[in-house]
Amino acid sequence: MLYFVARRLVSALSVVLATLIATFALFFVAPTDPAGAICGERNCTQQRYQEIRTNLHLDQPKVQQFAEYTAGIFTGRDFTTAGVTQHCAAPCLGFSFKNDRPVTDMIKTRFPVTLSLVVGYAVLVLTIGVFVGSMAAKRRGTLGDRALMTSTLVISSVPYYIVALMVALYLTVLYPILPRGEWTPPSENPGKWIAGMLTPWLVLGIYNCTAYARYSRGSMVETLSEDFIRTARAKGLSDRVVTYKHALRSGLIPVVTIFGLDVASSLGGAIFTERIFDLPGLGQLVLDSLNNYDLPVIMGTVLVASVLIVVMNLLVDIGYSLIDPRVRLS
Amino acid sequence: MSIGSPDSTVGVEEHPASAEPVRGAATPHGKSPSRIAFDRLRKDRVAVTCASIVLFFILLAVLAPLLTKLEGQDYSTFHTDLVDEFGYPTIGVNGSHWLGVEPKTGRDNFARWVYGARPSLIIAFLATVVGTIIGVVMGLLAGFLGGWTDRVISWLIDFVLSLPFLLFAIALVPIVESMRGGSFNLTPNEQASIRFYVLIFVLSFFGWAGLARIIRGEVLSLREREFVLAAKAIGVPTRQVLFKELLPNLVAPIVISASLAVPAYVTAEAGLSFLGVGLVEPIPSWGQTIAVATNWFKADPLYLWLPVVGITALVLALALLGDAIRDAFDPKTRR
Repeated sequence: MLYFVARRLVSALSVVLATLIATFALFFVAPTDPAGAICGERNCTQQRYQEIRTNLHLDQPKVQQFAEYTAGIFTGRDFTTAGVTQHCAAPCLGFSFKNDRPVTDMIKTRFPVTLSLVVGYAVLVLTIGVFVGSMAAKRRGTLGDRALMTSTLVISSVPYYIVALMVALYLTVLYPILPRGEWTPPSENPGKWIAGMLTPWLVLGIYNCTAYARYSRGSMVETLSEDFIRTARAKGLSDRVVTYKHALRSGLIPVVTIFGLDVASSLGGAIFTERIFDLPGLGQLVLDSLNNYDLPVIMGTVLVASVLIVVMNLLVDIGYSLIDPRVRLS
Repeated sequence: MSIGSPDSTVGVEEHPASAEPVRGAATPHGKSPSRIAFDRLRKDRVAVTCASIVLFFILLAVLAPLLTKLEGQDYSTFHTDLVDEFGYPTIGVNGSHWLGVEPKTGRDNFARWVYGARPSLIIAFLATVVGTIIGVVMGLLAGFLGGWTDRVISWLIDFVLSLPFLLFAIALVPIVESMRGGSFNLTPNEQASIRFYVLIFVLSFFGWAGLARIIRGEVLSLREREFVLAAKAIGVPTRQVLFKELLPNLVAPIVISASLAVPAYVTAEAGLSFLGVGLVEPIPSWGQTIAVATNWFKADPLYLWLPVVGITALVLALALLGDAIRDAFDPKTRR
């Protein structure tokens, strides 16, 4: 077990390191002009351009720049703009000269929005999605099952952003049946927080429920035909206990695996949802930064999102190997 | 997943004398797995309907110049006389503008709609072809050669799969643009064509890894089979073993993965264009039109619904077709 965890840890670390190098290479080593991009192309004076170059240490060798960037993540670093020195505390992911703020701060203020979105989404898919899926598995082959599976296939084949956009335009703006998406911190006004997040949750949750219903159906169908289920039935256990206690437990494992990765990638920014419902989350941050060429912010967010995925991957793998010892062998 | 038993035909090719009787005996029930799958597809009503819808869009894209000529319009001419001072079109659907005109610019909706089918299909198909080729080659090499090649390629697959796709796609656009001198220094045409290639690159870069992983797994089990061992034993060069012996046995996973990739890429292309990081003017694209049309959706719903219906119908048809293809090729669903 320890060997397995260690091996997975090493490979996860290597992926994180490679992501760090790859993003750094993309943003600073490729024949781009970060100083020019940061400075802006319209009203960039030569003096400001040079200042940014020295402050970012762009005149230093690339390897040294990379070492400084990496060290900054662990120990923090200082940036000077227009004579003012700002400290970027660890974990420092760079400094946004456009906003005059450390990138980490910007990510921190945006993260609760994305997190709220993902939490509500997770609750919906894990309850409704899994429930519908296991119900369908139990009634496999019936008309209801087939109708349900066909409709989930059709719904999940329509692009997500089309569904979200149409709901936003028609059900919250033209016919305001649902509340418009809006961000209020839960600490400030929990009622308003729920009202503002309700529509995004419903849209994101219900759309993705279709996929979860299909995963859990498939996995439950397989589990329900296994020997231990027959044994449980033969023991005379009630149908409910067999389905929801015996089968669901082992049938859920693959669903949870997918769920882990799904949550990780959504935490990196549920870009379409945030854009369409106007929520100032991480995805929106990236889009805003794109519009004003704020490369350090994009780089920081990409890095955070990649690390989230790798960490989640690792947790899922380790969790999986705890539940199912067969995994460790491969 | 192993399809059919190609083992029996391998020896036959080498000994022409023995070929006739074996082939003769095999003819009555000797259908290739692809043939069986295709026959099954033709009987699937959903698949046929979806295939015709896809064909309709392909024809639309191919015949776009002809159709617009028939209408007598083109996709780039401004008709400012057809919009009022607030930008609303003053004409609806009529004989010279089959689907009306755009708000503000007054460009012809029908022409922009048929031309909009082009980038979606071209990008999706090119990205699928590139991604599939890379995926197959990488998967074959990793699975067949094993050892360090396998370790490096597998690590690369893990790496690509753990990158956040959308974020990377968004991040790549400004980088490539600034490599070319920054968006302010580019003409709209240059910017549009850069975006076009960036999209293909990004989609295929993230698309190959999943397929490579599947192919690798398949090859790992196939390479222990007798026909591969036999080919290796008689000294067939590695390249030939890979492409002549193994590849024909991988048709099913390749076709399945490619047919599911196309709708995903159409979705991704339009989505990125909607976010403003995909295609830009002057290339007409559905995703971009949706983004603009949301500002006019109350006054001019047709303007919004045209690209929405286009993308939805195309993606839905492609996805359901992909699903039907998977069912047809997957032996588990064989009756």
